[in-house]
Amino acid sequence: MIPRRTLLLATVAGAALGLSGCGSDSLEATGDLDDGKLTIYSAQHKNLTEAWGRAFQDETGIEVQVRYGNDSSMGAQIVQEGQASPADVFLTENSPAMTTVQNAGMLAEVAPATLERVEPRFVPSTKEWTGIAARSTVLVYNPSMISEDELPASIMDLADPRYAGQWSAAAGGADFQAIVSAILQVEGAEQTEAWLKALKSDAKVYQNNIATMKAVNEGQSAMGIIYHYYWYRDQALQKASSGNTALHYFRNEDPGAFVSVSGGGVLRSSAKQDQAQRFLAFVTSPAGQEILRTEDVKEYAVGTGDASDPALPTIASLQPPDIDPFTLEQQKVIDLMTQAGLL
Amino acid sequence: MLPLLVVAVTALQSGPAEAFALVWRPRVAELLRNTVSLVVLTGTLSAVLGVGAAWLVERTALPGAGLWRVAFVAPLAVPAFVNSFAWAALVPGFSGLGGAVLVTTLSYFPFVFLPVAALLRSTDPGLEEAARSLGLGPVRTFLRVGLAQLRPALLGGLLLVALHLLAEFGALEMLRFPTFTTAILDQYEVAFDSRSGSVLALVLMGLAVTVLTLEMLARGRTRHARVGAGSARRPTRARLGALTVPALLATGGLAVLAVGVPAWSIGTWLTRTGEAYEPVVLGPAVRSTLGLALVAALVTTVATFPAAWLLARRRSRFAVLVERVTYLASSLPGVVVALALIALAIGYARPLYQTAPVLVLAYAVLFVPRAMVTTRAAIAAVPPELGDAARALGDGPLRAFARVQLPLMLRGTMAGFALVFIAVSTELTATLLLAPTGTQTLATAFWSASSSLDYAAAAPYAAALVVLSAPLTWLLLRSGREEPAT
Amino acid sequence: MSDLRLSGISASHPRTPVLHDVDLAVPSGTTTAVLGPSGCGKTTLLRVVGGFMRPDAGEVRLGGDVVAGPGTWVPPERRGLGYVAQEGNLFPHLTVAANITYGLPRRERKDAARVGELLELVGLPGDHGSRRPDQLSGGQQQRVALARALARRPRVVLLDEPFSALDPELRVATRDAVASALAAERATVVLVTHDQAEALSFADQVAIMHEGRITQAGPPAEVYRAPSDRRSAVSLGEACFLAGRTGDGIVTCALGALPVPGTTGTREVELLIRPEQLHLGADGSGGCPARVVRTEFFGHDALVELRLETADGPVLRARTVGPATPAVGSRVAVTVEGRPHLIDR
Repeated sequence: MIPRRTLLLATVAGAALGLSGCGSDSLEATGDLDDGKLTIYSAQHKNLTEAWGRAFQDETGIEVQVRYGNDSSMGAQIVQEGQASPADVFLTENSPAMTTVQNAGMLAEVAPATLERVEPRFVPSTKEWTGIAARSTVLVYNPSMISEDELPASIMDLADPRYAGQWSAAAGGADFQAIVSAILQVEGAEQTEAWLKALKSDAKVYQNNIATMKAVNEGQSAMGIIYHYYWYRDQALQKASSGNTALHYFRNEDPGAFVSVSGGGVLRSSAKQDQAQRFLAFVTSPAGQEILRTEDVKEYAVGTGDASDPALPTIASLQPPDIDPFTLEQQKVIDLMTQAGLL
Repeated sequence: MLPLLVVAVTALQSGPAEAFALVWRPRVAELLRNTVSLVVLTGTLSAVLGVGAAWLVERTALPGAGLWRVAFVAPLAVPAFVNSFAWAALVPGFSGLGGAVLVTTLSYFPFVFLPVAALLRSTDPGLEEAARSLGLGPVRTFLRVGLAQLRPALLGGLLLVALHLLAEFGALEMLRFPTFTTAILDQYEVAFDSRSGSVLALVLMGLAVTVLTLEMLARGRTRHARVGAGSARRPTRARLGALTVPALLATGGLAVLAVGVPAWSIGTWLTRTGEAYEPVVLGPAVRSTLGLALVAALVTTVATFPAAWLLARRRSRFAVLVERVTYLASSLPGVVVALALIALAIGYARPLYQTAPVLVLAYAVLFVPRAMVTTRAAIAAVPPELGDAARALGDGPLRAFARVQLPLMLRGTMAGFALVFIAVSTELTATLLLAPTGTQTLATAFWSASSSLDYAAAAPYAAALVVLSAPLTWLLLRSGREEPAT
Repeated sequence: MSDLRLSGISASHPRTPVLHDVDLAVPSGTTTAVLGPSGCGKTTLLRVVGGFMRPDAGEVRLGGDVVAGPGTWVPPERRGLGYVAQEGNLFPHLTVAANITYGLPRRERKDAARVGELLELVGLPGDHGSRRPDQLSGGQQQRVALARALARRPRVVLLDEPFSALDPELRVATRDAVASALAAERATVVLVTHDQAEALSFADQVAIMHEGRITQAGPPAEVYRAPSDRRSAVSLGEACFLAGRTGDGIVTCALGALPVPGTTGTREVELLIRPEQLHLGADGSGGCPARVVRTEFFGHDALVELRLETADGPVLRARTVGPATPAVGSRVAVTVEGRPHLIDR
């Protein structure tokens, strides 16, 4: 019986593999990469990357394939791959991973015309990559557990013992580390370390932003540190994970008001410099930025004059800290988090 | 063996001082505490539930023994991370040590149940009767004779439970209960940092070796074989009398918790797939899962064959060494093997990095022992004299092998193939780390959906995983005595 | 069919010598039984002949060709031997017919007539060809194994305890069927066994093996009557030994002076007397008086244990025809029939 059943499975699998070459709608690369296509290493969300890639293909006729990953591991992967990296373009959710690749000297300068399109505050001084979207740190809270006027004024206040056991964060993710890097720049190492220690002892750690938001929604935690777009996206759908929650924005250039820049860069080692630059140009063009508004992405546009999703507070209304997002470094953050016992 | 070396070397690259600093910190103590308490608690509970259930099913007149037997092996068809998803999706806020112990116990107690039940079914009650005739009451008989007889089966089952717990990632990550394995994956995810990850992996490896050693010490050199000739009798079943109802309630409760909850939870979410945030694309995931499982099972089975042959036919010191090493490698959590292969691929075989062959290699390292158990038994079951007979009839050694021995070994070897196939198709940790970018298996697709708490999107993958693992239950039930390997 | 010659064969398992300087000749068309207790090396001997084991020294010749010897090694598949092992070793995944034709060239394997012939040869119905080995009894399996071996018309057939796994009645029937099949093929046969009745009844020549050495070989009647030593004597059947002293044409022992023609000089010897050589007469009918100590009744015959009523009173065992068995405690008169065999002390 067994062999027969296994053989049957084997036949099905073989047939399935034979079919797998055709019919896939996704731009996602499966198996071997195709040297002929523009290769994008994307740590950005899949729906956004797909929308950009497809629109770019339609407009230019240049074929695109995507590898997905996460900020930190993908950044490190590119560095490890070195000159042999098959990546032409790298897209991140947050800037630290891009900085890692930049510091390894692996990024080519972005075409001036592209950089001119983007609001200056989202362009690094090195001009080796460009902002492609932005997201804001927010505190999601459950009004039935904590009233609005009890909320902390600064993200740093969460370390206060009176909030012990009430807050949560997805400390393991790259998003959160970007926030910590902002805290580090604004408050210094000592304060950051103390704050992380409080996080370790007082807060609940969830797997990711969605789990954090959901925990707040379900009343397991009163407050959670997340990025804004998770909340707005869920609100636009069935509100299954955010129906019982509200958002609190930190103000006054608090590190908790940190706006993280998603970056795009062209690999110096890419043989398709021209096509890669055209991709970045497209992403930052009005058409590319409009996708942020129309595709339920809920991330902020970074192109000069490009409107973001109307559901969001305008980007001008945010009061982020005056920090240089382009020097945010991940290693120091990871060391601090390791010391605090979070990793 | 290679994974061990690579991990050790990477861990120590940074110099002993830094390695020491990385080990000697509160986080490691916390992970150690968590890991050890999980192993101890789940191990104890699994032993109690496994032995208790096995005794009720095999040695008492409990109605519906056949049904219960299936029910208590069935949890093995639900991968632990799917089980923890089922619980978390049903009970909001289900987490921590309590949750972890509950889910892992329900997932892993069959590892104890299976060998203990097989032993209870096959052992002659003569010894127990002798003890009764020597004046021991039923309880003391069980403690002094029954348990002693069960020891090898119980220990073997507990070893499997412990090794699985050390390697478990998905279930524990979902329940927010950090252990070494989850910490190593976090570390990798965040930092791509092979140093501190490897240091943790080294500690984890130490734990695995400790568990193996403990088991060996506990097993000792004593033999529990039946002494004396005469054919064994079928054991008699104890009558439960008034205890029948409580016993039925207990077994029923366990079955509901272990099988009912996951089935109900997955079933409910299956009906709500419309609410999924991310589209469910089962096709490609099924395809890549089956494809990988097929290739890996093939490679593993073929690779196992020569070693199994050596072990079954020429038990030399070298062969025994090979066997021990593969068992040690298999007791390594998937994450350690994966990290080692990443380091190797990046360092020495860059073109292979993030390609299917490396993943297949990891599967082979992890699952060779599974194939080994059945393949070896299959080879041992074919008497070498048959080969002699074929040669006396004019076949050269190769022809004799192809015409007589291979066809006879094929059945058992195929069972090994099936075991590996199932193991690969539900593997999560190594797949997460090593899968070629863009390749999603059912396990990783499930994982990405369930870690966004997109329960509705995760349910179809979960159901597919259960369907794929279901034949395992059947295989295990059939093989009866054979222990499932790690 | 050709003859088989072993000369000076020594062989060993890792670190344990098994065979020592074994010589044996099996003439063409005859049957030789190698008799010995388990562990004496007889299976090893067969494996050396079969080519499954290399001897450390010595030579194996088949019909004049050296198949094993210094610098020569012919693998088993090219020796042209038939080999039937204790369990038959039928291939469980093949039908009886496929088993029988296994060793034949491919085009001959479909020859149903040949299968029928061979089945008939070993005394099995022709329709058994489509059965699977596990549907046959042990005796039938052994016959199929023989048919399989004979299908290739081997130069020599090697039988390794082929009947020992069978029930007694089945054993006899199978043995007869095998013997007649082998006789019909005029096969040269080596049978290895620990059963003396099997060896004596089956073979033209019996070779007695002990601790890796062949101590005696010859026709069954001769080896039975005149074993070279005590051990050989016992291995072939019940035996009584009496101390004696030779004289001119006689040997003096506890049974008195027995005539042994041809003996001269005086020396200490041991007399071998088989139980069937002792005749029990009525008390006082002449012969040595003895008392019956114990009887073992087998139906067709019986063994009677006697104590001679002489000075040191040795115990003897006599075989009697079933109904004529005397009662325990009765007195009988013992006489010896035929010539006792003398073994030097």
